[in-house]
Amino acid sequence: MKTFLSLLSLLAHSLLVVAQEGPTPPEGMVYVPAGEFIMGSTYGDPDERPRQIASTKAFFIDKYEVSNEEFARFDPSFKFPPEKKNNAVIVTWSQADAYAKWAGKRLPTEKEWEKAARGTDGRVFPWGNTYDNTYVVWDQKETRGASIAKPASPYGCYDMAGSVWEWTSDWYKPYPGNTVPMEQYGEKYKVMRGGSNFNNHSFIRTSHRYYVLPEKIHVYPVGIRCVKDID
Amino acid sequence: MFNQYCTKAMHKNVLIPLVWVYLFFLSPQLFSQKVNEFPKKTDPLHKKVAMFNELMLGNHWNEGAIMQHVIFPPAGLDRPIIGSQADCLDPTSEMLAAYSHKYAITKNPKDRKIANEIFQAILKLEKVTGVEGLVARSFNQTNEPLWHEEVFWYHEWHQSTSMPGYRWLGDLSADKFTSIFYGVGTFWELCADAAYKEKAAALLDRFIGRVVDNNFKLTDLDGKMTLWGNFCPNLPHQELNSLEMLAALKVTHHITGKERYNAAYHMLIDRYHYDDHQINSKILFPKEWRNVGDDYHAARSLYMLMRLEDDPNLLNKYRMNLNRHWYDWRDIEFTWESNIWFLMVYKVLTGEDIFTEEKEQGIKDMWGFDRNTREFKIPQKDGSIKLVKAEEERTAAAMIRNYWFGRYYGIIDEKW
Repeated sequence: MKTFLSLLSLLAHSLLVVAQEGPTPPEGMVYVPAGEFIMGSTYGDPDERPRQIASTKAFFIDKYEVSNEEFARFDPSFKFPPEKKNNAVIVTWSQADAYAKWAGKRLPTEKEWEKAARGTDGRVFPWGNTYDNTYVVWDQKETRGASIAKPASPYGCYDMAGSVWEWTSDWYKPYPGNTVPMEQYGEKYKVMRGGSNFNNHSFIRTSHRYYVLPEKIHVYPVGIRCVKDID
Repeated sequence: MFNQYCTKAMHKNVLIPLVWVYLFFLSPQLFSQKVNEFPKKTDPLHKKVAMFNELMLGNHWNEGAIMQHVIFPPAGLDRPIIGSQADCLDPTSEMLAAYSHKYAITKNPKDRKIANEIFQAILKLEKVTGVEGLVARSFNQTNEPLWHEEVFWYHEWHQSTSMPGYRWLGDLSADKFTSIFYGVGTFWELCADAAYKEKAAALLDRFIGRVVDNNFKLTDLDGKMTLWGNFCPNLPHQELNSLEMLAALKVTHHITGKERYNAAYHMLIDRYHYDDHQINSKILFPKEWRNVGDDYHAARSLYMLMRLEDDPNLLNKYRMNLNRHWYDWRDIEFTWESNIWFLMVYKVLTGEDIFTEEKEQGIKDMWGFDRNTREFKIPQKDGSIKLVKAEEERTAAAMIRNYWFGRYYGIIDEKW
């Protein structure tokens, strides 16, 4: 009886794990289950507040940022040095949006991006709460996923801290309950996430937000990571 | 004044500015250039320094601020045609330190006057933002955006409301933060008279005080932390930034006498262990991560900090930091002028006689810049880009500072 109960328990646990793993993601994507997660922070910039419980539907998200070579399949006129074919592409928001649509995907909302980066436990970085240089692709010369250690987020995404910034679909607006005025709020700037190889360590925190003009990125290196809805 | 006119015209008519650009960039021989005499590499050091000094004051002077990059020719203009400006506080603070060391040797009122004017420019970098304690990276006297705002650095230019007719570049970094306390601190120590000492102390009080009030962050007009402005104990930041913040607080406490800076210094040490964190400012391995650019900020911080600290335990920790740098510096090639300064700083801080004949020759061979020609992509009003070939000058401020620093500490002989 004891053995039977143990086996039953194991079976139930296995079924639960399978259920949590969800549907098989398309190639190059990972699955993020529906549900609540901790969004925002109490210690970052004023626009990260208030820290809140947010929720998303289940979705798939790209494991890696889109590369130069992948983007060139969408836009054959896009040129890049051959040795950088596997580096993250740097594009404007409309280019990113067009690429996502062409790929049958879309750009993530801020909520989706943040959940994919930090999971449910409110961690500071995709790998946890302690910073380490070796976890980050700091050098634009490096290809995607080339950090020395612990590169993946809780759901298996690479380079969500550092490498290039990543476009979201959202305009830069205050979170509900945020009362700190910002003249940049509205529908002029899009939000980019994840920091890049050219900013201080705090910018690669999972809750950090930064605003940029969608079509004038200047020298901000902003790239693409797409999501796909689950039917 | 010309570039102001040129810029305004650029926005009124596409063709007129191009004519002016061509006139100035492609036909420099039509105009008498303001300072056009270069030293020879074989000239003695003191002659090279004197001539580069003329080039810097003549061609790079922007109301006392020293421009890091000017596009030639200035052709006798009041202000240079400016290229990238994000790092102007580096040469500005280097020239301020240079003239402070020089004045300490010569006691010549003309040297002090130039130092005062450079210091006033740093005050103007604060005034132009309209926010007490918020210092700009650079400024230009213009009512409309200049062409290079769209090309160089981030889109962080603002029209000044406190100084009509000026535009300023925001998003100050930890590097420029270091330039300010290093330059102003050196000026206060060696050159400023009583009135200027008071102004220098008040500036650092406002500037560093604002950072302390914002939980050790450099924040911009929008209230967000700047891209490189993180010294915050609650946020992950580079070890170098811990060192820079300790040095800034030490200098500010020293020259203002305000206890809050001493309290902040010891809070960061006692509660957040910045004294331990700073030891690893120098990344030694993997070897390809070594960064001499960061070493420069560490060298300036350690130079200011170690001369003011008298706690032997803290001095030991700062020395450990210096030793990690020395591991790399002892065999460093003199690839740029700040490399040479690292060794001078090491000698001043440790008293060790590390200057071999070869290294002394490196000092004698110091050089400022060569005038280069390159192609600039000039954005046009219609959205197109015009390629224009022009001469340009970088900065010799580090070399000039090195020279007067070395002279002041007896490392450089005036006959060299």
